[in-house]
Amino acid sequence: MNPSAAGKTYPATTFTVDPERVSAFRKIFDEVEGVPATFATVAEFAVMPQIVADPELGLDFSRVLHGNQEYEFRRPLREGETLEVRCRLGSIRELGGNAFLVLVTELAEPGGDVVCTARSTLIERAAD
Amino acid sequence: MPSVRDVAVPSDLPVLSRVVTSEAVKAYADASGDQNPLHQDEAFARTAGFHGIIAHGMFTMGHLAAWLSTWAGGPERIRRLTAQFRASVFMGEAIVAGGRVKAVDVEQGVAVIECWVMVERDGKTEWPIRRGEAEVLLDP
Repeated sequence: MNPSAAGKTYPATTFTVDPERVSAFRKIFDEVEGVPATFATVAEFAVMPQIVADPELGLDFSRVLHGNQEYEFRRPLREGETLEVRCRLGSIRELGGNAFLVLVTELAEPGGDVVCTARSTLIERAAD
Repeated sequence: MPSVRDVAVPSDLPVLSRVVTSEAVKAYADASGDQNPLHQDEAFARTAGFHGIIAHGMFTMGHLAAWLSTWAGGPERIRRLTAQFRASVFMGEAIVAGGRVKAVDVEQGVAVIECWVMVERDGKTEWPIRRGEAEVLLDP
């Protein structure tokens, strides 16, 4: 992984809080109503292919573990709404041969305020 | 649902247990979009050094969020949730989510919770999620 890629911002995309997927999420965890707090992971996963394929970053996804996850909400997500997804590489650090990438994904009102900020720490394990 | 005025600090919250099945993990892969074969393919998981299929870290966090939402009175009460993934979870294991109220802000109606997910394995306690923290809005 290339540490100088830190701070890179990816082109914004859109994400719809699909009621069918929300319902599937609720069912798995026996939640009765609302949009589960970790549903934002769907948006994070939707942008993952462009990050994995980014030659400037050079992430080896086959060696990646999920180290840490954080969600912050200004308000809950609403079923059926379409939000803008803004994704950037927060920081890249090396420690003991492992590389730690913090991926910051913001879900925002189109052209407006951030609704939810997701921070994922991905650990690229040292090669064998 | 609880009000910050009635919540003792510190106080332990009731735990919530869930047995992790391959059906639920497959459903999670489809719902989340995370189709990593580590979570579906036994042979692949073994090649990667695990003794069987492991659950997504986010599956475990999803259970933690459901536990919190059950106590708080709905997912919309959760303002912040963080987790550190520290151990894998295998199919058939029971994951137990729990935590305690660390602080309350009566003015803001907010409770700060420290939370975790544990699993008993071979007579030892493992921590798939450690040092989780959440802020929940109990009194909007």
